[in-house]
Amino acid sequence: MSKAFRFWGLVPAWALMILTLIVPILIVAGVSVAERGAYGGFNWAFDLSSYRQILYTVGWTDELEFDPKYVLIIGRTLLFAGGATLISLLLALPVAYYISQQSSRLKTILLYLVTLPFWVSMIVRVYAWLIILGNDGLLERIYRIFGGADISGFLFTPGAMITGMVYSYIPLMILPVYASVEKIDPALIEASHDLYGGRWTALKRVILPLAAPGLTAGSILVFVPCLGTVLEPMLLGGGKQLMMGTLIQTQFGGARNWPFGAAIAMVLLILVVLTLLLNARRAGRQMEATL
Amino acid sequence: MKKLLLATTLILPFAAPAAAEGTLNIYAWADSISPDLIAKFTEETGIEVNVDSFSSNEDALTKLQAGSSGYDLVTPSQHFVKIMADEGLLEDIDAYELAAYAQLDARWKGQWWDPENDYSIPLAYGTAGFSVNRDKYDGPVDSWSVLFEPTDLAGSIALLSYPDEVVSAAQLYLGVEFCSEDKAEMKKVYDLLVAQKPSVVAYTSDNIENRLGSGEVAAHFWWDGNTLRLRNSGANVEYAAPKEGLVGWLDSFVVPAGAANVDNAKAFIDFMSTVENATEQYNYYAHSAPVAIDESKALYTPENAPELFPTVPVVFAQACSPAAQDLVTKVWTDLLQ
Repeated sequence: MSKAFRFWGLVPAWALMILTLIVPILIVAGVSVAERGAYGGFNWAFDLSSYRQILYTVGWTDELEFDPKYVLIIGRTLLFAGGATLISLLLALPVAYYISQQSSRLKTILLYLVTLPFWVSMIVRVYAWLIILGNDGLLERIYRIFGGADISGFLFTPGAMITGMVYSYIPLMILPVYASVEKIDPALIEASHDLYGGRWTALKRVILPLAAPGLTAGSILVFVPCLGTVLEPMLLGGGKQLMMGTLIQTQFGGARNWPFGAAIAMVLLILVVLTLLLNARRAGRQMEATL
Repeated sequence: MKKLLLATTLILPFAAPAAAEGTLNIYAWADSISPDLIAKFTEETGIEVNVDSFSSNEDALTKLQAGSSGYDLVTPSQHFVKIMADEGLLEDIDAYELAAYAQLDARWKGQWWDPENDYSIPLAYGTAGFSVNRDKYDGPVDSWSVLFEPTDLAGSIALLSYPDEVVSAAQLYLGVEFCSEDKAEMKKVYDLLVAQKPSVVAYTSDNIENRLGSGEVAAHFWWDGNTLRLRNSGANVEYAAPKEGLVGWLDSFVVPAGAANVDNAKAFIDFMSTVENATEQYNYYAHSAPVAIDESKALYTPENAPELFPTVPVVFAQACSPAAQDLVTKVWTDLLQ
């Protein structure tokens, strides 16, 4: 029974994986090597020009030339996503640690509060930042109370965009970090103090290494959605610079170039997979090192 | 009993499509159809109406191209009616046989986007231009130069995030033909927009009422009727009348190919085009009506709604060739790279 069950029992899981993950990815990959339709859509003909377009485009002078604009957009996306991840990490660690030190009743409440924003639509949450960061908004008023000079607004800046990204995804960082910090035996920290380790040493040699799995998991959970984010660049960043998410959206919309949109989506996917692979390798090496 | 319950649950999913005969799924511009009229239609016919909204023609096109959208009625602008019809995405509903067709102003019949009047019945028309907040800016608004080569408005301008609208306006200003395939001409458009970019706060299509009404920006690329509605709600805004012209649009009802409720869609088109209902729709939407309305009940007149009665030329957006569309896209991605 067990062998048959092992096979048939996993069929639903496989079916789900194939239908909802593998088939859609294959469709995107297929579209990315298809020929673009005249008014959007695509024709089934093999055509690699979408991938060529990432590096080479026909310039204003009618010549095919190396054009770094898409590489620039991809680089910018990596930079902003990385920045947002780093800020989330720096903010989440103390928060998670603080929560882990509370009574179990308070812990539940605090964790519930961390996840609370997820119950509200993402668009509504981003709009809330429009009110906070906008002209004569909350932040500007507070700034003025403390005697700040006249400023031209926080909204529609890269800073506003990163703020929005950090805000949107930080719960995904706090929760895994909390999960690993919570398991740290306080005796280990005491032991480090007993051995004349200061607070910094305790953090660096005890807490951080033990929290590493949570930090990595959190970083991936934040970095990956940040790579594809669309709302924050458009609403908070003012749409003045394209990111990969908005670039893909433009290709399926105004540009009517589905294969190119799909090709950029594939690049995005490859970046995500690379991130995960690199991390898996590092984790593997760490395992070996500890063994 | 248990068996009965189980049987009923099993049958339920199959029963649902039968009830679907009484439904109509509309995909329209956000807030473009009077909710009162929809309620009235349901009351009169028993047909249940679901309305989803889009905020750009491209969204509507993409949805239809992706296939089996489930919609029975969509309201794209004229150039997208042409593209959708050419792409075989529309149901031939013999629009010229509908009662609504008789209500239609002659100038909208037999036009290039639907020469045989097979596919579409217009619902509203208007212009795209720009509006200024008069509390923030008191200079002239008689030319696109105010917006595209700003002096006083620099740093207080917002444009839309749709390349088609912005590029069309820039073409009007520069005297470049719509859908130009001439690289040198389109390079001029690009140069204009790049030089303007430092003065632009945002390229965004959401939340325009607030941004302009509150004075967050002093000038915003926008539409006629929306400006009118914002002004009537108390904001000190004015719709510009650039001498180079405004970009015209006309939204029409069309039925996607293979729609499930074609007859209901036709019934709704006719319903919306009776004089009484068209007048109510006009008063709600505040964009011009392409069908006959009762002038005595119309809320907006040239005196109180100059936005809807432009005195400058209006040039309607065209359906561009793929080559021309690529140049529009190139201008846009080079601008925002």
